[in-house]
Amino acid sequence: MRILLVEDSKRLQSSLGCGLRKAGFAVDLTGDGREGLWLAESSDYDVIILDLMLPSMDGLSILRGLRAKGRAVHVLVLTAKDTIEDRVRGLQAGADDYLVKPFAFEELLARVQALCRRSYQLKNPLINIGDLQVNVAAHLVARRGKPIDLTPREFKLLEYLVLRRGEVVSRSDIETHIYADSVELMSNVVDSAVCVLRKKLSRPGAAPLIRTRRGFGYVLEGAAK
Amino acid sequence: MSSIQRRMTWGLCAACTLLWSLGGLALYLIVRAGLFAEFDSALKANARAWATMTSQKDGRVIFDYDGDLPPAFRSLHRPDYFQMWLPDGSTLQRSSSLRGRDLALRAGAVARPELSDLTLPDGLPGRAISIRFVPHVDDEGPPSPVRLNGEVTLTIARHRGELDRRLSLLATALLVVGAVMAAATAFLVAVAVRRGLRPLSQLGARAAAIDASTLQLRFPIKGIPMELQPITIRLNNLLERLEKSFEHERRFSADVAHELRTPIAELRTLAEVALKWPEDSDMARDALHDALGVALQMEAIATGLLALARCERGLLPVHLEPVCLGPLIREISRSLNGDATTKPTSVSIDVPDDTRWLTDAFLLHAILSNLLSNAFQHSPAGGSIRLLAESNQLSVANSVDDLSPDDLPHLFQRFWRKDPARSSSEHSGLGLALAKAYAGVLGLELRAELTDTKEITFVLSGAKVCSPTAVATC
Repeated sequence: MRILLVEDSKRLQSSLGCGLRKAGFAVDLTGDGREGLWLAESSDYDVIILDLMLPSMDGLSILRGLRAKGRAVHVLVLTAKDTIEDRVRGLQAGADDYLVKPFAFEELLARVQALCRRSYQLKNPLINIGDLQVNVAAHLVARRGKPIDLTPREFKLLEYLVLRRGEVVSRSDIETHIYADSVELMSNVVDSAVCVLRKKLSRPGAAPLIRTRRGFGYVLEGAAK
Repeated sequence: MSSIQRRMTWGLCAACTLLWSLGGLALYLIVRAGLFAEFDSALKANARAWATMTSQKDGRVIFDYDGDLPPAFRSLHRPDYFQMWLPDGSTLQRSSSLRGRDLALRAGAVARPELSDLTLPDGLPGRAISIRFVPHVDDEGPPSPVRLNGEVTLTIARHRGELDRRLSLLATALLVVGAVMAAATAFLVAVAVRRGLRPLSQLGARAAAIDASTLQLRFPIKGIPMELQPITIRLNNLLERLEKSFEHERRFSADVAHELRTPIAELRTLAEVALKWPEDSDMARDALHDALGVALQMEAIATGLLALARCERGLLPVHLEPVCLGPLIREISRSLNGDATTKPTSVSIDVPDDTRWLTDAFLLHAILSNLLSNAFQHSPAGGSIRLLAESNQLSVANSVDDLSPDDLPHLFQRFWRKDPARSSSEHSGLGLALAKAYAGVLGLELRAELTDTKEITFVLSGAKVCSPTAVATC
């Protein structure tokens, strides 16, 4: 899942970016309003975390600019402005969620995850595909009832494939949404990650869940129950 | 609840009713006096006529009336009465209407007859006139040497029923007209007062509609009566000041919220993220380093706010002593210029070495540090800072490229920053507010001036200059 964090506090930007990456998100950071708008318009993000008081362009203007151009990306406003009027103004400008500083990191994480799920029209966090069980809220994976230990990034890869199950997901899509901050040109990080994930998900006698469509990408097969 | 409209209506109604009553009473008394005068005048004429008809001859009184008495004395219904007494008190003549009864004997001169109210023999109220006179001597026949010894008394009485009836009719008419007038007056007064006070009611209704969220409203001046115009103008001025004050408070609250919430959010996120992945020691170390920065920033804010509070409560100790400006300014400038975070800036100091102010060295140091630090921070790269001391005044000037005259009133407000995003964590926006507060404690004035050439000058004035001979040289 790819996130854009527009926050002018260097410390908050750094700690939030670090925490979100640790949680498995691909995160782009900026502290400038105009740059934030440019990034939001030029890239495909699952969620944008947006401060309101920003240099060069305020958060509400960014939000209105995005909505005016028809961008439906989910936006979570993260601000010190806590009055009812501020919240109403933010939500009316097109925000999908509003969180006031100071906040609990776990709550921010949960809200961002909820917005990501909403991006893929998913309300129930518990997904069953064949004998695979994925709880996208609790970050738990099990196959045939046995839990599988995944790193946050591996979990995000699986979650992305699960959310787009049945579709062929290109390498570039995976790079953009999961490994945007760590993929170098011509690297095979996606292939390696998919390979590792396949191994962890495999069970003796069970059909492989993730199949490769040569020249197109990967597809996670199986209907959701 | 007292009401001006009610009080005015009642007051005017009462006043009008009183005036109508007094007018009615006066009219009644005048008409009554006129009717009595007319009645009495007729009685007097009657009495004089009777006196003329009375003569004496040979010491005897002759009542010279030819024929029957006038019909008024013969009428069966409410007749007039008369009775004439001789000087010895015996009755000479009485009208037949008296039927042998007597009228009360009263005396009055011809010129000043006695008029009185009385109860007539038939028991009804009447009015009588009494005169005493000496009958003239009958000059017919030979003159007689004998004269009447004394005066004859004549009393004529008349029913006053008609007079009383007319007076009663008048009184009734006055009462009815008075009541109608009072009612009409009450209605008209109520309407007039309500109309007259309508601008006041409208003013009150408009004032009642104003609260903290609608301070931008103003009272219309056009069409307001001249008596209310000064109040309206004052109220509008008051509203303008209140609106500015509320706006200032709102901005201050928002600024405080931002200044405090952001570092708290930073601290919390730093701690939570570090605790969530405790195995990452590098991240934990970075978090601790950042947390220290946040703590120092919050300490600076708390110290600044505390100092401001002390200034406002007059708790800041002031120790006046001669302070040499030149060395103090050069020391501060050197320390700031040597700071790696400041931009390369040229500083020119035109402060005579022997300029000494009688002031508090610590507070003056704090003021000048804030002003110079501000100048270093906000001068564009390669800019210059000029310090000039003239007697009791010191000015610190530096070029700026992002200030406008509209910003000047806000420069000394706590937490004010030109940047609406308030991104910088190096400044809290308390420095100039503190400098202004310290200057106030020292009895100095600190003001800011912006020139067309985009140069801002902070002027510190009103200092007590030490006499060169009074203290040792710097």
